[in-house]
Amino acid sequence: MAGTRPKLAAITTVYRKYSHTQHIVDRYVEGYGWNGTHHHPEMDLISLYVDQVGPDDLSRDRAARFPTMKIYPTIAEALTSGTGKLAVDGVVLVGEHGDYPKTPKGQVQYPRYRFFEEIVSVFRSSGRSVPVFNDKHLSWNWEWARKMYDTSKEMGFAFMAGSSLAVTWRIPSVEFPSGAKVREALCICYGGVDSYDFHGLETLQCMVERRNGGETGVKWLQAYRGDKFWDAYRDNVWPHDLMTAALCRSHTLKPARVGFNDIFPTADEMRRIAKDPVAYRYEHADGLKCTMLLMNGLVSDFNFAASIDGMSKPFSTQMYLPMPDGRTTLANFFSPLSYNMEKMFLTGKPTYPVERTLLTTGLTAAGVDSLYAGQTRIETPHLAIRYQPAAASTFWRT
Amino acid sequence: MPRNLTRRTFLQTAAAAPLLAQSGQPKRLAIIATIFRLQSHAQHIGDRFIVGYPFAGEWHKPNTQVVSLYVDQKPAGDLSEERAKQFGFKVYPTVAEAVCCGGSKLAVDAVLIIGEHGEYPTNEKGQILYPRYEFFEQVTKVFESEGRSVPVYNDKHLSYSFEKARTMRDTSRKLKFPMLAGSSLPVTWRLPELELPLGCQIEDALMVGSGGSDPMDFHALEAMQCMLERRKGGERGVKSVQLIEGDAVWQAGEQGRWSKELLRSALSRSDNLKGASVTDGRTQDMVGTGVLPQIVKNPWAYFIEYRDGVKATLLMLTAAVGDFTFAAKIAGKPGIQSTQFFLSPDPNVTYSACLANKIEQMIQTGVAPYPVERTLLVSGILESCLDSRIKGHARLETPHLAVAYQAPHESQYCRI
Repeated sequence: MAGTRPKLAAITTVYRKYSHTQHIVDRYVEGYGWNGTHHHPEMDLISLYVDQVGPDDLSRDRAARFPTMKIYPTIAEALTSGTGKLAVDGVVLVGEHGDYPKTPKGQVQYPRYRFFEEIVSVFRSSGRSVPVFNDKHLSWNWEWARKMYDTSKEMGFAFMAGSSLAVTWRIPSVEFPSGAKVREALCICYGGVDSYDFHGLETLQCMVERRNGGETGVKWLQAYRGDKFWDAYRDNVWPHDLMTAALCRSHTLKPARVGFNDIFPTADEMRRIAKDPVAYRYEHADGLKCTMLLMNGLVSDFNFAASIDGMSKPFSTQMYLPMPDGRTTLANFFSPLSYNMEKMFLTGKPTYPVERTLLTTGLTAAGVDSLYAGQTRIETPHLAIRYQPAAASTFWRT
Repeated sequence: MPRNLTRRTFLQTAAAAPLLAQSGQPKRLAIIATIFRLQSHAQHIGDRFIVGYPFAGEWHKPNTQVVSLYVDQKPAGDLSEERAKQFGFKVYPTVAEAVCCGGSKLAVDAVLIIGEHGEYPTNEKGQILYPRYEFFEQVTKVFESEGRSVPVYNDKHLSYSFEKARTMRDTSRKLKFPMLAGSSLPVTWRLPELELPLGCQIEDALMVGSGGSDPMDFHALEAMQCMLERRKGGERGVKSVQLIEGDAVWQAGEQGRWSKELLRSALSRSDNLKGASVTDGRTQDMVGTGVLPQIVKNPWAYFIEYRDGVKATLLMLTAAVGDFTFAAKIAGKPGIQSTQFFLSPDPNVTYSACLANKIEQMIQTGVAPYPVERTLLVSGILESCLDSRIKGHARLETPHLAVAYQAPHESQYCRI
């Protein structure tokens, strides 16, 4: 591949304004602001598969404006450019957004596993595999996620996945100290179950995986919701000082009192403001305890805090998403995600381990299971996932 | 571990906030404001000293006590009496009474003048005639009669008039009290963290801003100035200014009067491009596609020529962008240095907490963390640019803007 531009295929669910596909594929064809210039990836996205084409579809507009990117009716044809053999050097799998049925537990059945299986089927028939990036968690179904991971290992191709939370700006711009001993870590964020909970879990995991000894996996998880959330809060199930630190990193703290624009809420005010809050409390094999809190109405950003040995107060930061909610127009947190993918496609090496996302995929499913099972503790022997973090920091600082 | 990470970790733990006095008697503050209603500057900044603010991962409670408030106007939504009642201070009918807490002697340890928002006339240059100078005069009259002064913070530019602004600075020197002024832009977080090296040689600089004139261009000019002032030789003032509008701005770009390369770099830092990004979310190289003249029908360019020969340009491109970005070419450094001055969302506007911390620092230490001359100079640059506009967009020599000062050695923007 030396000296040649890699060719990519994007396998996606929908391509509409502000879908993940639009954010990611646009960055390949339009370029994007990076390192102080308008960066064009040193590769060509030549084929596109879109599973659902609705009235708000943009894929046809993009294909017309960028004729080198062709739309194919099947995943196999997208990967082979109609030649019958794998014709690309990398695959971007974006299975987020679109109309898909829900499981009885409320999980949206995005077809990432099906897409992945069709991709590796082409790899197998072609006798050759290429790097794959999977946006967000691997699958809503843990067994399938595990199979995706195992397949990538068996076939020996580079595999990266996950959320932009792990790679976006941090405010302040700090990294979790490598090798630190950490007792408790917590994320306060917002959004739904089987949705933004995954982003909160990635926020936590991209930090705590850098702790002393690296990642050891997770032993159990318990979810709390609504009244049980507040009972757990009252009983100090998770540390209140980390909640305070995380909330003090938020830029979207709902003013608790009329007439104020930025005021720290009391516990009673938090309870009044946060709608149907959800907590996932879980313990890693080495004893680290983590808590992911979805506090809709109270905040709409992602804030991290941890108790680190030797520090006199919580270590904390915000994973900043310039969310296009009216205040911004570009979801530029997809820029560092795209850049990390590009590095994998250029070097054949993931910039951070897919085991992170395998673990957070399992944690997301465990959270859903715990809620579905009446907010009981779920033992997670299947999440005994050990890995070491990337040596270099990969979040956005340039 | 990379060296800077160790340093950052240290910053977070050991020096989370400047060493501000948290013990002893709280410093007594008077707030002199145009109006005090939700989302006015007086409420944003004043409340930081009443209910505290988020800073360095804590809810920081300054060791201060607001003891008096003056409001010039009480529009619908006025909160002054309500706030005073709840927090045990008084709203006084005059500025003098506020700084004397109703008595005959100066009765506060610091004064915050927040003259932004409210209904005031506009002059022929389009400037809103906020009475900051008048407030300041009434405050310092008390200082003079008392023979004693306390620190003063003035929000945003000193005055719409450079003459008045200079008088304010001169008075602070004469009466020997620390004075801090300006907006949040110089002290908010930057994406990415960029500081120009002190003593660098700036070959070219460009700022991109958004919003109307007078409220917003001051912010953009001040953000640009806090970068430019770090150049070799320190700040020595401005030799000339010119403000042009419309197609002339694009023609000036074609003629190389401002750098397209710097504009591309500045726009690459924007999270808020308009045009097609609004329509369908796409990323854009607005310089490369040449789309800017179609989107921005009335661009404004502010050309600043400094006395040491350095040139800088502010482009107000409201129809194309919604944020504040900066780019510069530095001698001896490859590429272009660029960043975004981060304005966090309403209603929290946490960037004003960064500013509150600087004000608190001055109140507690008696030393302004950065020179008021920056704001003095920017007040004058803005006025002269607006003069240029009403004088047929002529280039104006600005001998009165020979304002010299040294930038603070330490970076002052928020990184914690």
